[in-house]
Amino acid sequence: MAEMSEKTAIAQNVQETHVLEIRGLRAGVETKQGRKEILKGVDLTVRTGEIHAIMGPNGSGKSTLAYTLTGHPKYEVESGTVLLDGTDILALKPYERARLGLFLSMQAPVEVPGVSMTNFLRTAVTEVQGSAPSLREWVGELDEAMRRLRMDPRFANRSVNEGFSGGEKKRSEILQLELLKPKFALFDEIDSGLDIDALRIVAEGINRAEKADHFGAMLITHYTRILRYVKPDFVHVFADGRFVRTGGPELADELEQTGYDRYLPQGKSESALA
Amino acid sequence: MGKMVSEDEEAAVRARMPHYDSADPYKLPALMPSSADRSIRSFDPDDFPAPGHRSDEWRYAPIDRLDDFFHPFTPSGLTEVSAAFEDGTPVAGPVRFGRADAGSCPAGSVGKPVDKASAVQWQASAGAGRIWWLDVTGSCDQPVIVRLAGHGDGLDAVHLVVTVADDARADIVIDHTGQASLAEGIEIRTGARSHVNLSSIQEWQKGSRHLGSQRIEVGRGAELQHNVISLSGSVVRLRMDPDFAGPDGFLNMLGIYFADPGSYMEHRTMVVHNHPSCRSRVIYKGALDGTGARSAWVGNALILPTAPKTDSYELNRNLVLSPGAVANSEPQLEIENGAIVGAGHASSVGRFDDEQLFYLESRGIGVDQARKLVVRGFFADLIGQIGVPGVEKQLMDTIDRRLARGESSDMARILEED
Repeated sequence: MAEMSEKTAIAQNVQETHVLEIRGLRAGVETKQGRKEILKGVDLTVRTGEIHAIMGPNGSGKSTLAYTLTGHPKYEVESGTVLLDGTDILALKPYERARLGLFLSMQAPVEVPGVSMTNFLRTAVTEVQGSAPSLREWVGELDEAMRRLRMDPRFANRSVNEGFSGGEKKRSEILQLELLKPKFALFDEIDSGLDIDALRIVAEGINRAEKADHFGAMLITHYTRILRYVKPDFVHVFADGRFVRTGGPELADELEQTGYDRYLPQGKSESALA
Repeated sequence: MGKMVSEDEEAAVRARMPHYDSADPYKLPALMPSSADRSIRSFDPDDFPAPGHRSDEWRYAPIDRLDDFFHPFTPSGLTEVSAAFEDGTPVAGPVRFGRADAGSCPAGSVGKPVDKASAVQWQASAGAGRIWWLDVTGSCDQPVIVRLAGHGDGLDAVHLVVTVADDARADIVIDHTGQASLAEGIEIRTGARSHVNLSSIQEWQKGSRHLGSQRIEVGRGAELQHNVISLSGSVVRLRMDPDFAGPDGFLNMLGIYFADPGSYMEHRTMVVHNHPSCRSRVIYKGALDGTGARSAWVGNALILPTAPKTDSYELNRNLVLSPGAVANSEPQLEIENGAIVGAGHASSVGRFDDEQLFYLESRGIGVDQARKLVVRGFFADLIGQIGVPGVEKQLMDTIDRRLARGESSDMARILEED
């Protein structure tokens, strides 16, 4: 709780606060067997400066929530609203949502052959800021951000995510986070496939960016491991398409002990779903 | 038969010969029916059947737009053929270039014409003395550019012979530009242990037609990187027939094409492994944009009984950027030798990758910009493998100009005019 009051103090120092409100969100995908509902009424409010851990079993819809919020074409919204400072973003294209300040760190970042990281990053920053950063400032900022993430400088000339190791991909996501400075960031299993050193570097990056840019974070994870490095203000349990329980950091410890089985529909267990 | 043999003796000989068993074709791969036995090779056009939509050879091509290529003709001479080093200085030293008589250069010795169009082209070129010879006798430190500049629609024929000496290193670029209807034959022979990078670039003006046949022989222990880049023209159909002069050769074929509405791009890579321990790689990738854009790739790797330890692979990928474009892809393999290292093929025709686009869009990059980045990346990835910096720059400039066309109608008009 000491952690939380410290954050609140920081929040008061920042002039702008923003709010992301998810209300009654229902969404699903079209399958061969017909429509499949995955999000079954999601409600959540996130303010800048807050870190929300979203935990739940495999297949509960955590990633779908991340993709639906950022506008992936595969997911269709049935009902509900998502307001960013009062603007309903569900009607917006993915790039419009990004320009409003939404960022998704993907579980499996996509390779884009032939597009260099520098070209990609500069294009993205230009689009999100609305103007091209001056070349000198840009090069300095990029070098510095890469140095902090302990990334090889040659990395900038490689194609986006192509041939990157799991750890490099995740660091590349954090690099983008630090350069794009969003208002709200979703991290979809940023901790998956990371060894302990890479996990620490990535977590440091999140904490540093949070401190500098004061975004609201939704940290989607299956395991409590990353929560040792990135301290959440709230922990939510997500099961069968909705939030079923909310608490403080202590809830993560409880989940570590008890698992997710009690939140699943009767007759199903985590191991059975996997 | 010079000596008389009795029927009994003949029967006895036949009984000792291995026989092809269709129920177990892989028992003796060397006995399998081979396209090498069926293929016609001749300098005489009359030896080839008339092209038709049903023939394997011509089934994808718009043959009604190519009829004049199949009948004997007198070349218009509208294609200007010249050569220089990349910096514009005349070729000198180990590089000789000039018009040649059929007798004074090895024209026709690398390979006979492989289809009706190439036999007609041979006749027309030889008859009008339209044969050129690029002879590289030693290593050169900058690329040699052979320019074929078209100056009109009249049907022309050009035959080019490229020879590279043993142990030489050379980058050679054959650059096709302008307005043309061109029947072209190219023969390429690389010396033992030579390293050659040869690119054939097609940047024709609208309405141009180009039928080409390239007969290629890779020297013993030599390495040939063969690049084909077809970016514009109404009909471009190029057939490559490479084989090897001895063991341990490496043939690396890279193909890049970009078809837009009304254009047809066909590439055939008919690799023959005739010597042991040779490697071949064929990577052909293209993008098609707009209704009526068409392409075809037909690849064959024929591994003869004489080529143990062959390692071959062929791949074709097509990126269809908008509805209404048609890409044909036909990989073939004929393996007549059981003792090979590998023979593989892969082929695909796909649309834009939604995941790539979403990734870029989720970073604030707009839809059009994201599509352009993906297409530019598709080409940049391939063009970066050519290995000749000047060529790579020229081609990326062309791609950027083509992508810019979509940006505003004013820009498009300016670009159409030049």
